[in-house]
Amino acid sequence: MTRRDLLRLGFLAVITAPFAALFRKRGETGTGYFWQIDPDKCVQCGKCETECILPQSAVKCVHQYASCGYCLFCSGYYQDKRIEFNTAGENMRCPTDAIIRTYVEDPYFEYKIDEERCIGCGKCVKGCLSFGNGSLFLQVRRDLCKNCNECRIAKACPADAFVRVPADHPYIYRKPPEVKS
Amino acid sequence: MIPRLPLLFAAQARFPAPEFESYTLPKMSLEELASDSVLWRVLLLAVFLAAGTWFFYRLRSRKALLAYSVAGLAVFGFLFASCPCPVGMFQNVAEGLANGSYIQPGVLLLFALPLAVALFAGRVFCGGACPLGAIQELLHWKSVFIPRPLDRILRLISVLLLLIFSVCAIYGIGFPLCYLEPYLPIFLLDFATPFAILSAVFLAAGLFISRPFCRYVCPYGVLLRFFSYFSLLKPQITSHECVNCRLCEQGCPNGAILPPEGTGSTSEHRSGFRRISMLTALIPFALFAGGLFGYFCAPVLSSFHRDVRLVRELDAGIKSEAVEAFESTTTTREELRVRAIKLQNGVLLASTAAGVLFGAVMMAELIAEARRRKEEEVYTIDPSLCFCCGRCYAACPLERKEKHHEK
Repeated sequence: MTRRDLLRLGFLAVITAPFAALFRKRGETGTGYFWQIDPDKCVQCGKCETECILPQSAVKCVHQYASCGYCLFCSGYYQDKRIEFNTAGENMRCPTDAIIRTYVEDPYFEYKIDEERCIGCGKCVKGCLSFGNGSLFLQVRRDLCKNCNECRIAKACPADAFVRVPADHPYIYRKPPEVKS
Repeated sequence: MIPRLPLLFAAQARFPAPEFESYTLPKMSLEELASDSVLWRVLLLAVFLAAGTWFFYRLRSRKALLAYSVAGLAVFGFLFASCPCPVGMFQNVAEGLANGSYIQPGVLLLFALPLAVALFAGRVFCGGACPLGAIQELLHWKSVFIPRPLDRILRLISVLLLLIFSVCAIYGIGFPLCYLEPYLPIFLLDFATPFAILSAVFLAAGLFISRPFCRYVCPYGVLLRFFSYFSLLKPQITSHECVNCRLCEQGCPNGAILPPEGTGSTSEHRSGFRRISMLTALIPFALFAGGLFGYFCAPVLSSFHRDVRLVRELDAGIKSEAVEAFESTTTTREELRVRAIKLQNGVLLASTAAGVLFGAVMMAELIAEARRRKEEEVYTIDPSLCFCCGRCYAACPLERKEKHHEK
């Protein structure tokens, strides 16, 4: 085979490619390139914290305020074996004290994730889901993620919760945040 | 342990959002993707490849090519995090083509650009635009010459890996190359144990064996080798009349420089003819052996797939995290089992086909090796093996003299 033959073959392939594409079966998955966690599949195993190649995981907890109940006794904030409902360390669920609680109105408190401190362990997510609305969930942060072609967390994820998403919708929300007029 | 209650808030929240008097909900602050860095990478890659071609064919300077490697390592290795790189893209392309899923144009360009350049100018990409090639180029100390037959046999490993990794990508087993790539821990400065050991082994080997990954492991290198065989520009050691001093052959650590071959004696002709007819007779056996090898590899490959592993754990009654996660979904065991069996059958077929293909490639390589080359009176560069490092330009005394005159 000479160079000319190869070029001719390549040209033929390029010409036929669009026709071949017409007969191709359509796949359901893999419409994007960027890794993301499907919060409905996530089981909060804690691997996101440890498996990421970054020194500090690109996965962090996010809070969807629109579906939060603003509970006084937040099950994502307090741990199960709490002694009292106060802000002492032994009562907290977050190991790095990354949930900031501020008073809003009488029985209601706002919970905010301090992203500098959050390590993506998913403990609060599990807590919120066990008793509350599930407004806390884990997401891969686009500014931190290196987008490895083979994500190590995805490889280790027991629930197959890592999916590829397109660039224009890089996050998966629990439920689309409601716009209140 | 906290019991996993069924999620009800899709219908209604357990705790409906309170109605506040003077409090507005804070906005969720999730940063969008700033820009799709893949296209930038393609642009930069094009610039690099153009520069590399110019350095290698026009400047013919070892120093410029070294600078090219350093720049490639800095930019593609460290500055941009090394993923996605063209080396691993064949997996994405194979998956996209086989499953009919969408392939990003950036991914396709990253895959095709070095191959297109190889068709015109050889493996300029390997010389320095590839961060993996660049790090091996720079971290090479003393060359250990690998005998030609051993070299040709060892490089069949890369063909085998290309086939296996393509099967893995097509059937959703994963992208093993990106997972195991030995230089990735260095670029990401992440030295977790099992992966860092592999990179240490490859770095240590690279000190003595030039480019161990490129020559014997890199699956993308197989494609580059094929395309650069038809390269339009052929590298020439010197434009002067070669004095057959052998310095370039000794200076090339990659075994890409072929010595002149004479006409040979009649007995050599006869033994060569016998060798080729023997190899041709062996072809059916090689194909069969390859197919058998692929057939027996298939269960190993499919055992890395999530569904197959899950079925195995369910059958064995292991209470792993994956089993627990599976039980909280709505998929039934039968559905999972059907999926796993379908996958196993697919892998079995593909793996056997890949084995047959490997047998064919192996025989083709062996016959190509046994065949007589075109008669040459001078030392020539094999463009499919040349990594465009420019060592031979520096070693050639005629070339040095010319450089000296130019100054």
